[in-house]
Amino acid sequence: MKKIKILAILSIVLCVSSCGTDYLDPAPTAAISGETFYSNDAELEAAVINMYDGIQGINASEDSDSDLNHAIQVEYYLTEMRSDNTRTKSSEGESAQFENFTVRATNGIVADYYTSFYNVIFRANIVLENLDAASEANAAKFEAEAKFVRAYAYFNLVRLFGDIPLIDRVVAPLETEIQFTRVAKSAVYDLIISDLSFAAGKLDNTYKTRASKAAAQALLAKVHLTLGNYTDAQGLLEEVMGSGFTLQPNFKDVFYNEENSEIIFAIGFLPDNANDSQNFSAEWLNSVGRSSGVNYVTPEARAALDALGGDRTMFSYRQDQAQPTEYQVVKYLPDGDASLGIAPTSGNATSAGNDWIVLRYADVLLMHVEAIMAGASFTTNSQAIASFQKVRNRAGLTDPVSSISKQELINERRVELAFENQRIFDLIRFGVAQEVLSAFSEANNYSFSATDLLLPIPQREVNLSKGLLSQNPGY
Amino acid sequence: MINLMKIKRLLKPSFTMALTMILIASLSSCDPSLSIYEYDLPEANSKADETPPTANFSATQTAEDWKTYNFANLSSSATTFEWDFGDGNSTSSLDASNTYPGEGSFTVTLTASDALGVVSTFSSTIEIVEPEVPPALRPEILNGNFDDGQDNWKIDEFTGGTTSPYNSSSDGSSLNYDGTDSGSSKTPGAKWTSSTSAGPYVSNATRYAYQAITVTPNTDYIIEFSYAIKTDADDIEGGDRVIVEILDGWFDDGVDAVASSNSGPLVQIVGDTANGKGEFTTVSKAFTSNEFGKVAIWMYAITNDELFVDNVKVFPVE
Repeated sequence: MKKIKILAILSIVLCVSSCGTDYLDPAPTAAISGETFYSNDAELEAAVINMYDGIQGINASEDSDSDLNHAIQVEYYLTEMRSDNTRTKSSEGESAQFENFTVRATNGIVADYYTSFYNVIFRANIVLENLDAASEANAAKFEAEAKFVRAYAYFNLVRLFGDIPLIDRVVAPLETEIQFTRVAKSAVYDLIISDLSFAAGKLDNTYKTRASKAAAQALLAKVHLTLGNYTDAQGLLEEVMGSGFTLQPNFKDVFYNEENSEIIFAIGFLPDNANDSQNFSAEWLNSVGRSSGVNYVTPEARAALDALGGDRTMFSYRQDQAQPTEYQVVKYLPDGDASLGIAPTSGNATSAGNDWIVLRYADVLLMHVEAIMAGASFTTNSQAIASFQKVRNRAGLTDPVSSISKQELINERRVELAFENQRIFDLIRFGVAQEVLSAFSEANNYSFSATDLLLPIPQREVNLSKGLLSQNPGY
Repeated sequence: MINLMKIKRLLKPSFTMALTMILIASLSSCDPSLSIYEYDLPEANSKADETPPTANFSATQTAEDWKTYNFANLSSSATTFEWDFGDGNSTSSLDASNTYPGEGSFTVTLTASDALGVVSTFSSTIEIVEPEVPPALRPEILNGNFDDGQDNWKIDEFTGGTTSPYNSSSDGSSLNYDGTDSGSSKTPGAKWTSSTSAGPYVSNATRYAYQAITVTPNTDYIIEFSYAIKTDADDIEGGDRVIVEILDGWFDDGVDAVASSNSGPLVQIVGDTANGKGEFTTVSKAFTSNEFGKVAIWMYAITNDELFVDNVKVFPVE
């Protein structure tokens, strides 16, 4: 009897020691799983590239599944078409909600963008979670790239939606509280600043379509300008200005000579490629893309370009040959324009390869003026004037400038960066959005109110949150 | 067939009776439930306002006028609004704009209410301070002391005339450009005689001095210069004189500058005191720059003797 007891105890002890977690949850050997995949530099670099793939989004002309993320390819709806620069050609459907300031919480394009950029954040968090798989030499670079991308995504989201959920790690589906709790903008900006500062310290300027030191510095400068930290911004911008970037002598080449000396950060696309092409270029034409034509130029933007654009005007907008009362954007044409000396960039317009420019040197120079002006109504600072003059000289506007008013700077940004998804953010950052867009709305019988400066949290998210997510005012 | 009709007739009264009974039954069954509410107050058992309004707004100064503020209504769950701007003005629009009388501290209150009459108020104080105005530009007058001959005073072209601005002369003022004594009885200057004169002597050889300058738009400036006239023989109507003007714009061709001068310059100074060669008189006059800040100095003389100009200056009114 005693013997049996001892045996029983022994067998129990054996059993306990053999039951590690691996025993019940073994790593699969015949298939790849996300938890065990990342084991070396090459695999982690695939995760890094995967982040840029997320920003690219899916070309809806190549795969029309409406559940897919279209990311940067639909950004112009939320930004440029919500400003006084562009509108739809036909004023129809949910895409017209942007131009007439009647965006609803159910708008599918808003939900698409929101989901896309949280997906980009997820992809960045995956890289950060698996850094221990990288070699010591590469870990810091991968971390810096992931933090740059995460900050870029959050900067877009916080400016568009205000207070938003802050996901700074890989979360599981059941962790609903962090997914649906809106945190104050200041906390989001804290993460953006710490991520970009880290990235600027660890990256170099090897790439233009991946994160770089200059891209992190320029983006961080824009963050500081948004928050009113003008001296921080000025220092960063002057570092970028000493990094060897130059303006293209010819404005057209900024857009039709990819990865040129002016580009600091762009989202790369490849022509006639099912996975890496874009269709926004086609959407901006007359019935070439899936729409009848969106991001068409408003009379207000044309008037500004005519008056202040100089050499830039002809490479910014053109008359729609098929519908002469309407005007199209010339930047990013997929099928070229012989009269302007622009060659097609792809065989198929809906499978375009034009890169999307996020940051370029002219933007940096004008931000430099903005940083020195520091919220005042004018500046006569010679450094500011030098930066301003460079941008104007390239446009053929060589009259010497002796002082720059806030309005002149806003105007210069409008015509230099027209249709590059900057206008709405510029108007908000300079504190003139309500004034400018109220007047624009009144002149066009749209229905702008101040709450339209923030987009609605997508209704789908609000519904999934079971009462946790609150909606922005006005929706 | 007949049998069926009979049956129907027989059925009819009983069917009606059944209907009547049902009606009565339903009426009587309703009564008790109605009586439950008979003496209740209207508020009883009503639901609370689950989405009460929250008032909130932000204010931004407009770019054009520092006294005008735009107010962005950020209230939620509200349908009617009352703005009190703190200066006696008010409105009930959704977003609002107000122009204040001047500098000061104003408490703005937004009262937001929903259709159930639930009210929320939000107040915020704005401090209005007049922003600093840009210091006026001090234009640099090139060769304003005429030390460099005709440099910087020639207009680009002159259809039917000459671009030569004046005769270079050594008989300018004894004072330097900065007002100090040169230690000599004279410095270089500009000179006109009858062959370069306008007025009764106007010809294709009449000389006009031109210089484009950039100043701050819509700002008060002073133009100043010195001149000397050798003699005035009283043989020219209006006397021997120098005319110095600020033209409203920049011009490439002297013809256009003359036209602008004839249609009215921003300011004109006529110097007609003849004190003799080397006896300079300094004159000045204020003007307001145009909205572009692009103006030009325009000088010519009407004389049949010798007339000298020196030390031309343009500076902002401090």
